[in-house]
Amino acid sequence: MLKKSAANLTGLALALFFLFPTYWMITTALKPKGSTITSDYDLIPFSVTFTNFVTAWTKPGFLSSLGNSLLVTLTAVVAAIVIGITAAVAMSRFAFRGRKSFVLLMLVAQMAPFEALLIPMFLMMRDLQLYEHLSSLILVYFAVTLPFCAWTLRGFVNGIPIELEEAAMVDGCGRWKAFQKVTLPLLGPGLVATSVFAFITAWNEFLFAKVLIRSQDLETLPVWLSGFQTAFGTDWGGAMAASVLFTVPALVFFLIVQRKMVAGVTAGAVKG
Amino acid sequence: MTAVKTTEAAAPAGDIPPALPPAVTGGARKRRRRGSAFDRALPYLLLAPALIAILWLIGWPVVSVFVTSFRQLNLGELVRGEVVWTGLDNYTTVLQDERFWEVSLRTVVFTVSVVGASVGIGLGIALLMRVLSPVVRIALQIAMLCAWAMPILASTTVYQWMFDQNYGILNKTLVQLGFDSFTGYSWFSSGSSTLSVVGLLIIWQAIPFLAFSLYAGLVGIPRDLYEAAGIDGASPWQTFRAVTWPEIKSLLMMVTFLSTLWDFKVFAQIWVFREGGPSGESTTLPVLQYLEGIAKSHFGVAAAISVLMMVILGLITFQYLRKLLQTEEGKI
Repeated sequence: MLKKSAANLTGLALALFFLFPTYWMITTALKPKGSTITSDYDLIPFSVTFTNFVTAWTKPGFLSSLGNSLLVTLTAVVAAIVIGITAAVAMSRFAFRGRKSFVLLMLVAQMAPFEALLIPMFLMMRDLQLYEHLSSLILVYFAVTLPFCAWTLRGFVNGIPIELEEAAMVDGCGRWKAFQKVTLPLLGPGLVATSVFAFITAWNEFLFAKVLIRSQDLETLPVWLSGFQTAFGTDWGGAMAASVLFTVPALVFFLIVQRKMVAGVTAGAVKG
Repeated sequence: MTAVKTTEAAAPAGDIPPALPPAVTGGARKRRRRGSAFDRALPYLLLAPALIAILWLIGWPVVSVFVTSFRQLNLGELVRGEVVWTGLDNYTTVLQDERFWEVSLRTVVFTVSVVGASVGIGLGIALLMRVLSPVVRIALQIAMLCAWAMPILASTTVYQWMFDQNYGILNKTLVQLGFDSFTGYSWFSSGSSTLSVVGLLIIWQAIPFLAFSLYAGLVGIPRDLYEAAGIDGASPWQTFRAVTWPEIKSLLMMVTFLSTLWDFKVFAQIWVFREGGPSGESTTLPVLQYLEGIAKSHFGVAAAISVLMMVILGLITFQYLRKLLQTEEGKI
């Protein structure tokens, strides 16, 4: 009994440890200007205001970097998903020479250390005249997420019995129709999970966004936020409000697929 | 909010009935023999876009980083489009630089401590979650989810605020507790202190994934094994050694490899706090690569650093993939 409550207390303490930064981000964002930078001990806010959010929203660069982030991330993810599905179907539904090597290639590519490819990527984008263009970031994020999407979707396609498609084909569907009517709808949850993963990877990316884009109009949100001191000075309330706005899309997506989060990354490992 | 269900969710990619790979089913083989030319070409056509993209955007850069590392390529050569081969000069420059070894050692120490702490605590929390009452467990899971979901740059900004010299909540709390020396204490005045804060931030964000995966593995262990151990009168430690450990060992290995790969490559957090400073004391290999390559435009030297990084990462990845393919055996 005593052991049990000691465990529960430890659990609660850990919960506080993990929750505190989120709590502190939100409460700081809600504090009125002037009461963030004080030497008072202010763990619990007494008055609440949303002016910090207005400040952050209207800061120069916030909206454009939000737009850039959304554009870059969504384009890359959609492309990676579409091309990933075709590759996944090929790998899981067809028998052909070289299949095994393709699957291995996809697995290895998924582990490619992109950070170590910074220099050649930079030189390549420069040669392609894409330096300082958002399309360079789209290409990089597409490349980062594609092997992962293809590999994960292959797992999901494998999970759908091929007999269902075959049954549809016996009933007179063509191969494409059978895929479209049977497999694609069943693939829905897998598609959502995979695209959210890919989205979060690209949404978070900092190094390439910093290196490939120099001009402020083309900055993505992570890079803009990293220079928040130029935008906010010591206005921590504003900086925290911007962080909240940056977190919300990721958090929403996380909640959608949280059950699948673990499974995706250690796919295959869990069986032990 | 039942992250408890993670084992079930593992199904889509994990538990595939052995009958599935159509490569070995008779139907598929028959179809291939009878199929038209288009049918035979179809899988290749479907794979072509992905294959081209991977070769172009991953394969070529990998080749290019090796090639570049043998060239003298500074801003001048780049602008003029000159190709100057220097053999192993870039490597000797890098390897003879005392700073490189200092940075490498720091990177290794940093990675090992961060991975060790996060995997260790992650396993501890996973074990703890089994004995928590449901309400506390769900509270802990929600809290961890919040930490996990926060974008890296958002959490880095929040940590900067919490560790702020004058108005940060940490210093204020320490002063309240009676440690007056923390009034205006700067957490970023030395490299080791800066890296400790970065390490804490990374551990804090890495634990949720580790705890959830390991917990999913723990939940999958059959109950009767524990019952049997209980009947035999095993102590908790003996139960852990004899029942839990063998079941979770390979999963633990996998997440340790993954964490090592991720933590070795950390750039954003280190850069945003102090740009690798003060006076380069918190510079790790990815930061050094950035400083040499992008900030100083010494692309050849930076490529040599990249190659050395890739060798280390490649060795870890190879081990990881070997383990993964062992568990995935027959499914490819």
